[in-house]
Amino acid sequence: MKTAILIAMMVLADSAGDVFLTRGMKQVGEISIVNPKALLTIGTKVISNKSFLSGIFFMTVTFVSFLIVISWADLSLVFPAKSLVYVLSTLGAKFFLEETVTVQRWTGIVLVCLGVTLTSLP
Amino acid sequence: MVMTRDACSRRASLKKTITALIVTIFAQATGNVFLSMKMKEIGGNGWLIFLARAVESPTFWFGTALLIVSFIFFAVALSWADLSFVVPAVSAEVVVNVVFANYFLSETVSLTRWTGVLFISIGVILVLRSERQRTRGESKEILTRIDR
Repeated sequence: MKTAILIAMMVLADSAGDVFLTRGMKQVGEISIVNPKALLTIGTKVISNKSFLSGIFFMTVTFVSFLIVISWADLSLVFPAKSLVYVLSTLGAKFFLEETVTVQRWTGIVLVCLGVTLTSLP
Repeated sequence: MVMTRDACSRRASLKKTITALIVTIFAQATGNVFLSMKMKEIGGNGWLIFLARAVESPTFWFGTALLIVSFIFFAVALSWADLSFVVPAVSAEVVVNVVFANYFLSETVSLTRWTGVLFISIGVILVLRSERQRTRGESKEILTRIDR
């Protein structure tokens, strides 16, 4: 039960984090790694972006619950249990970020989700 | 066929994104192995003692540093590509995690888990193909627009 609650928390926070992070990074714009000076300016922009910071907050929640849960459960069980993140984050991308998700992409995502669930079985 | 600069940069951007994602995946998987090793060694007896002992250990910080590197590359990839592409593509990390857990942490990996690994691999290939088709479709669109 303890494990289930922590994993649920980890999954929800992970998807929310993904959506906020993407929104933040898209607001900042494409990052070019060629120019180190520009990189610093972009870095400052990224760190002061509200969506990005909200993303970081949710990722922290994810990370802390992950750390707690791996202290007693197998890594190759906890990690695969995150399978729902793939579907949740894609739904978030579709509805909050207005991305187009083709049938082929959905098929791939469902296969990934199934595969991750299979890897979470003993 | 002459490709426009825009179409070229889009395709180059897919390559960049994939490179960033590969770094994300391997940094993540290696970081997880280090963290899991340390956490199991400490065990779950009391929160504060647990945290204090974790923070003291270089293995813990090394694992965390790798996860930070992985995160930076993930964020950079998100500035270039769709979330609905990046997230399933990063699922390849589960495959790497299972393999690493098997080799470095000596966790037993059953046939069911290996089947899951196969499913994920096929899924990731499909998602990659969908992204490639999307970039190709966009290049074509730009070319027809120029023809007119």
